[in-house]
Amino acid sequence: MPDPLLSPELLRRLEQFQLLARRRAKSSARGERRSRARGQSVEFADYRNYVLGDDLRYLDWNLYGRLDRLFLKLYEEERELPVRIFLDASESMTFGEPNKFDFARQVAAAMGYVALCGFDRVTVVAFPQRNEEAAARGALRAVRGRKSALGYFQNLSRLTAQGPADLNEALKRGAIEARQAGVAVVLSDFLDPAGYEAGLTALFGRGFHVNVVQVLAPEELNPTTYGDLRLIDSETGAEQEVTFGRYRLATYQQAVSNYCQKLREFATARGAHYFLASSATPLEELLLKQLRQAEVWG
Amino acid sequence: MHFLAPTAFAFAAALPVVVLFYLLKRKRMVKLVPSTLLWRKFLAETQASAPFQKLRHNWLLILQLILLILVIFALSRPYFAGKTSGGRLLVAVLDASASMQSIDEEPSRFEKARRQALDLVDSMHDTDQMVVLLAASHTEVKQSPTGNKAALRRSLRGCAVTDSTTHLAEALKLAQPLVRDRAGGEIHLYTDGAVRDMAEFEHEGLNVTFHQFGKRAGNAGIVTLDVRSHPEDPSRRAVFVSVLNASSNSIQTELELRFQGQLIETRPLTLKPRETSPQVFNASQAEDGVFQVRLTTEDDLAADNQASISSLLPRPVKVLLVTRGNAYLEKALGTVPNASVTVAKESEDDARSFDLTVLDDVLPTVWPAGNVLAIRSTQTNWVHIVGRAEAPTIVDWKNTHPLLRFVNLDNVQIAEALAVSTPSWAVSLVDSPTTSLVLAGEVGRQKILWIGFDTLQTTWPLRVSFPIFIANAVDWLNPATATTAQYMVRAGDPIRLALTAPMTSGKMILPDKSERVISLDPTAREFVFGETMRQGLYELEAGTNRAVFCVNLLDGAETDTTPRAELNFGKYAKVQATTIKQANMEIWRWIAAAGLAILMFEWWFYHRRTA
Repeated sequence: MPDPLLSPELLRRLEQFQLLARRRAKSSARGERRSRARGQSVEFADYRNYVLGDDLRYLDWNLYGRLDRLFLKLYEEERELPVRIFLDASESMTFGEPNKFDFARQVAAAMGYVALCGFDRVTVVAFPQRNEEAAARGALRAVRGRKSALGYFQNLSRLTAQGPADLNEALKRGAIEARQAGVAVVLSDFLDPAGYEAGLTALFGRGFHVNVVQVLAPEELNPTTYGDLRLIDSETGAEQEVTFGRYRLATYQQAVSNYCQKLREFATARGAHYFLASSATPLEELLLKQLRQAEVWG
Repeated sequence: MHFLAPTAFAFAAALPVVVLFYLLKRKRMVKLVPSTLLWRKFLAETQASAPFQKLRHNWLLILQLILLILVIFALSRPYFAGKTSGGRLLVAVLDASASMQSIDEEPSRFEKARRQALDLVDSMHDTDQMVVLLAASHTEVKQSPTGNKAALRRSLRGCAVTDSTTHLAEALKLAQPLVRDRAGGEIHLYTDGAVRDMAEFEHEGLNVTFHQFGKRAGNAGIVTLDVRSHPEDPSRRAVFVSVLNASSNSIQTELELRFQGQLIETRPLTLKPRETSPQVFNASQAEDGVFQVRLTTEDDLAADNQASISSLLPRPVKVLLVTRGNAYLEKALGTVPNASVTVAKESEDDARSFDLTVLDDVLPTVWPAGNVLAIRSTQTNWVHIVGRAEAPTIVDWKNTHPLLRFVNLDNVQIAEALAVSTPSWAVSLVDSPTTSLVLAGEVGRQKILWIGFDTLQTTWPLRVSFPIFIANAVDWLNPATATTAQYMVRAGDPIRLALTAPMTSGKMILPDKSERVISLDPTAREFVFGETMRQGLYELEAGTNRAVFCVNLLDGAETDTTPRAELNFGKYAKVQATTIKQANMEIWRWIAAAGLAILMFEWWFYHRRTA
């Protein structure tokens, strides 16, 4: 890989982390997560009466000795944690220096790597749908195991951002498609004219534990182009005339801050984590400090 | 609707500038952005969600406030008060004489004078009043006292320059009573100083401001023109012309003589600085007509480069001499060219068939109707005899009068003369210490030359001056001579023509070929036409009769266009040309200009902030 998404040093540090899930895993596949399912593990869960046909290996013989009744010992089944990463690959993500999409991919790679190290299943949903990258996108639908990490990175690198996206539609579809709820990571700039509320609500309703990472370009946070401007929306082509000068910078920043705060309040009110990241933010700052402090992983 | 300062509409030119700025503002820089969502949020937040917002420190606001204040300040028409606090009466005297046509000023002296007078109108206070006088050969009141600037401007624009001489004294005499008893009365004299007659005007401490025009005297012109019978050959005509070079350089020019439009002679002239050159042309003349002379070079003043004169062929003059015997007189009359003398002892009728009558010490029973030379006629209605003067000594005579031209009375002794008191119609030509000896004048249409002594009782017939005087007298009393003079007038003077037959209507064709229809009372005995401000030929057509009048400038004072730094009033006073501009200049224009500058600065500042 000519330009690795993540440096070996960062990968080495990420290996120490594990995704922290508040909810028990509901996956049907076995993994390393505690689940409500009973099965094979070392973790005792409960007793139940023996019925004909039960495996005799799980009978509690000590109890039988005392009570002269047959009880079966139940153990917690350890299941995998499905991690679903929603990656905004719309046209608006191609802007910024550094590029917003590159930054989002790096975050996706780091999240996925931590999940893969924890034997969790990682699904990357890049939206909008594009047939050109069907192979890479298909391969990213279900990735498991640490050995798949290299392929996972490569497939992420093959993704490109293009065209208009419908954030709500993508999140809703992802929520429906998921067989089990798990951890959801939404990587987007959240600059969809239709809003984000419906999509996020669908995720929350499905039972996902949602991590919202809003990626904005430094130019969006702190514009440096002044004068009489005719702004053209990269996705919708809509035009907006604006007269902008240094004296209005503070007002603009306040407007952006208000917008982000609204998203933050929407997310945190529903138990989600919210992170705002400029694409110029050092990756370590976000991954090793902010996510850790918020106990996304530990 | 009237406007006090209509020139302010020129500031409307700033309107397109403002529009242009707005056009500039609309030219926007196109920029592709990830999403306009944040910008829309930003705009929504900056737009008014409440009718008022907190007043923020904004330089644009301050600049616009200053601009508004300046505009309001300018609209209030402020001005710096001078010494007088208004209520002045300004008398603008605009010289419209021929010399003001000089083009040494741009576009001409008169136009420049008019502009300065208009500036004076602009600088007037609301309480000021102004009178506009147009001074040419006569002074015309173009505007009586008013504070209405529009009316003053209109009257000034209605002033036109003429080809006539200047009589500034007349204008000043008219202006004097207006300003004499007023505090704040000012006379503003707009002239080039090419005037002649200021000596008769007493200054009397008038508040006169002399606005002088003219930069140089690049002019030569014809100042005298006359035509006579040639002294040596009565069949030919002598045309006398004098040309003045008023400039400080020598000039070379050509003088053309035309008769009835036909070129007769062209004479090259070289004139030294300020030289007057007399020229005599000798021309034959077959019919009555007009001689025209013209200088071919172009100079600053065109009005004096040509002149014309009517010349009538000499007609025999019929003289009736009523005398009891005077050989000297008969001989003197006989030598007069074209004179046919009839001698009679007694006059029996009013002698209408004669052009003039000479009464030599006789008392006619019927007084002649024509012109009369009366010698020692005692009983007349014309003079009042008060007594007799014994051996009166001739002490003075008017040698400038045409009658006494070339006449020397030094060695004339008189035995006895009638003593008279000089009547009002006559001027005394020859004086003794006690009485007038020779009187000349006009009574009604009759020219009278009265001599108060018997020529035979004097040594005069023995002197050479006697036949000269008689010849002058015949010439002066000849009605035809008077007619010739009537055909040439100075520009500005009226054309007068005695009517021998009743005339009711006629047509005057002016030099510019425009026509004036003239209607007269049938009982009128004289025709008068006053619109002679332009020089040239004026043709009168009445029925089948046709007469040509020559209107000329012929004034050395006008031809001499030398700029004068001062004007002499009367014998002692003089007034210097001023270069001072009006003090009461309103300043609102400057404030408006400052407002415009602020507006420019505001836009520059705005673009600097947003760029």
